[in-house]
Amino acid sequence: MTRALGRLVVVLVVVAAAAAPWLAPHGSSDQFADYLNAPPMRLHLLDTGGRWHRPFVHPLRLVDRLESRYVEDDSRRVPVRWFAGGHLWSTDAPDAPLLLLGADRLGRDVFSRLLFGARASVGVALAGTLGALLIGVLVGGLAGYAGGLADELAMQAADFVLILPAVYVVLALRATMPLVLEPARIFVLIATILALVGWPMAARGVRAIIAAERRRDYAAAARSLGAGHLRVLVRHLLPAARGFLAVQATLLVPSFILAEATLSFVGLGFVEPTPSWGTMLYEAARNVRDLGAFPWLLSPAAAIVLVALAVQLATAGDTGSGLLWRAGPGRARNLQID
Amino acid sequence: MTKTSKIAVTLVLAGALVAAALLARHWVGGAPAGRAAGPSRGGELVATNRSEPTSFNRYTAVRSTDELISRLTQARLVRIDRTTDALEPRLAERWTVSDDHLTYTLFLRQGVQFSDGVPFTSADVVFSFQAAYDPSSQMAGELDVAGQPLQVTAPDDHTVVLTFPSVYAPGLRMLDGLPILPRHKLVAALREGRLGEMWGLATPPAELAGLGPFVLAEYTPGQRLVFTRNPHYWRRDAAGTPLPYLNRLVLAIVPDQNAEVLRLEAGQSDLMTSETRPEDIASFRDAAAAGRLQLVDVGVSRDTNLLWINLRPDAKLSPARRAWLQSEDFRKAISYAVDRQQFVNTVYLGAAVPIYGPVTPSFGGWYVPGLPTYPYDPARARALLAGLGLADRNGDGVLEDRRGDPVRFSILTQQGVDTRERAAAVIQNQLRKVGVAVDVVSLDQLALIQRFGTGDYEAMYFGVETTDIDPASNVAFWLSSGAFHFWNPGQPKPATDWEARIDELMRRQVTTIDLAERQQLFAEVQRIFAQHVPALYFAAPEVYVAMSPRVANATPVPARPQVLWNADVLAVKEGGAR
Repeated sequence: MTRALGRLVVVLVVVAAAAAPWLAPHGSSDQFADYLNAPPMRLHLLDTGGRWHRPFVHPLRLVDRLESRYVEDDSRRVPVRWFAGGHLWSTDAPDAPLLLLGADRLGRDVFSRLLFGARASVGVALAGTLGALLIGVLVGGLAGYAGGLADELAMQAADFVLILPAVYVVLALRATMPLVLEPARIFVLIATILALVGWPMAARGVRAIIAAERRRDYAAAARSLGAGHLRVLVRHLLPAARGFLAVQATLLVPSFILAEATLSFVGLGFVEPTPSWGTMLYEAARNVRDLGAFPWLLSPAAAIVLVALAVQLATAGDTGSGLLWRAGPGRARNLQID
Repeated sequence: MTKTSKIAVTLVLAGALVAAALLARHWVGGAPAGRAAGPSRGGELVATNRSEPTSFNRYTAVRSTDELISRLTQARLVRIDRTTDALEPRLAERWTVSDDHLTYTLFLRQGVQFSDGVPFTSADVVFSFQAAYDPSSQMAGELDVAGQPLQVTAPDDHTVVLTFPSVYAPGLRMLDGLPILPRHKLVAALREGRLGEMWGLATPPAELAGLGPFVLAEYTPGQRLVFTRNPHYWRRDAAGTPLPYLNRLVLAIVPDQNAEVLRLEAGQSDLMTSETRPEDIASFRDAAAAGRLQLVDVGVSRDTNLLWINLRPDAKLSPARRAWLQSEDFRKAISYAVDRQQFVNTVYLGAAVPIYGPVTPSFGGWYVPGLPTYPYDPARARALLAGLGLADRNGDGVLEDRRGDPVRFSILTQQGVDTRERAAAVIQNQLRKVGVAVDVVSLDQLALIQRFGTGDYEAMYFGVETTDIDPASNVAFWLSSGAFHFWNPGQPKPATDWEARIDELMRRQVTTIDLAERQQLFAEVQRIFAQHVPALYFAAPEVYVAMSPRVANATPVPARPQVLWNADVLAVKEGGAR
């Protein structure tokens, strides 16, 4: 049940990211100068006279620009337009944009940016996680299965990557590239960096599991029945690491979303006006007071929590039980199956 | 007016000069004569500063923290009063000028001692000039007149004669930038050519000596600089009380502006050495109304940010790009495309005024209203771009040049400086609406300066600090050969006719004594600048200075250091214990 819920949320997030231009009422970099740090608008059904209408909003009126203080102008009703101009929902009035999650310090719609940002953040984090797990499985699996010198070398390499001061390495790399990069190239670049930085933890865990499993009876049985090394490794041993990999994924996805923010901060990530959750959070945290005064600027953090939770639920074991329990090496259902 | 709001002195005045005139009435002569009892001596103030010093030797260190330390610990022969922009006597008590305006005779104050008790004489002044003209010094450029040094002689212990190579209208104003060094401490180093290595950050504070109101007592890197009263400081207030009033002044190093603001609001510091951010004004205003802070609107800033396009002939641009990017019409189109009121509202939350050139209304008599401007008019911007052969040939919303390459350029700006990054984002957004794509690249200051030096950039959005409003003090900006002629610095000969004309006018301006004539010449310079817009200006912020209620006797000004320029008369309010 919870697993289905997790999967549903993941699918919804991916669909929302893909359909961002249609779901978002505004472009990701449209600035509304009179709506700096404006609060989220409420969708109304009842007007002040108590009559029912189709969903509408009241425009916000600026009371104090220095404080970014607004009041709802309930003398005016701006109905929400559906399926117009290539957007699911929007408003007709240029002075009353639909700001479902408020606006940021440049007067841009946070909701629209959140959707567009999901493409960059979730996309890059998923791609990076996939890459890191693939490398981790490959290196860890071989090291655990072969043992000896190969094991030694692979784990040394993993340790070496772990102790690299990643940010400085990345900065040095960045200096060799042109100042301005296309967003698509930035995407590939970040995903690659994340995969290269993230694989050692996965590799070490996989290696430990495989090294323990290959001594078990079922592995010996498979080999004595004539299975080749590759078949034993892929068909019989690696499934034991599934729980561990699921845990790794739930840890890597949110940390990669944040890593993307770090990379963007040091100049290697997405740049204005391309939104990503990381850059949105970085922007929000520039002035600590803003976080208290304009809490909707933190909605990317809520989105990160949601995605992390969903990934965790979606990858939970068949029984739906806790993940950390599953993470222990050697606890795998292969024991019963084989 | 309630009692609490009285503490919150909020001066909302039309311009800095009005403020200056009002304040100056009480303050000329440096002493707070308007007060009957006078502030009491003693106490400590804590100021926060964002960056570390680079050296205690102002002659080799040119960053604003180094300048601030020099203002606290060293003295000048004369000083520019930041409220009136007039020259006031300091170590030189008075001076005379020869009829040909080439020779100035300065009579030094007698009985003045360095902080280590050694008497100050004309030999120290002569030595300071020698040190300034030493190859290790960064001062020479500021003390040259038309590329020539001044001649300095000392007929006796308390007289100095300065001979200028040619007539120089600002005259002694340049000496505001020259802290007088103790000859007895540094003469050996100068002889051995080691002056550049002297007074680095590792120097024990006891080895430093100066003529300023404070002495450095302690420096803890990354944490604080502690200054204590200079017992030998020579200034007294009108009542004869020796200055400074403060016993101690602490400069706490707080690199993050958020932390700086929190400290000020929590009462852990008394003032910041930088101006208030626009988004902090509202909460400071509330704190001021509740008596927890003093907030002063000191008027429109003189330090402006500007956008310029690299016009250097060696800029790394293809000929096709060069044709539009370096053209005058392209700059005018940018000016037409940017809604300055929206810029003011978004970048400064409304606390700024739209401007079109480097001379803001706070430049007093040098400001010329009614210059040609290129105000917001996207239709004219599009027409100018079309005139350059730029059109949207593939319907993607971005213009293309005749070869089909998109009209796209990058603006470099300083990372971490909020108003600059925000400004770049606004410019980017507004240019997009007329079909010009902009990539904003934020770099740290050093990388930015390095790229400026090598000319490896397309456009930059950056700022300058103006120390003196007299245009003759800013020739490095105006002259085509100047190092701060941002768009094309250090030209061997003027690249354009109008730059040649500005050079000519500025040279006359510098060598003309009559003020009205100088203002007329400078108005002409500004007119030419406005016609050709080599750099684009959008807004000049309103400067707000926030201080704790403990701070007494402050006369904040728009230029940095807004409060500490007058550190010797700052005091702690009676009963203002922390």
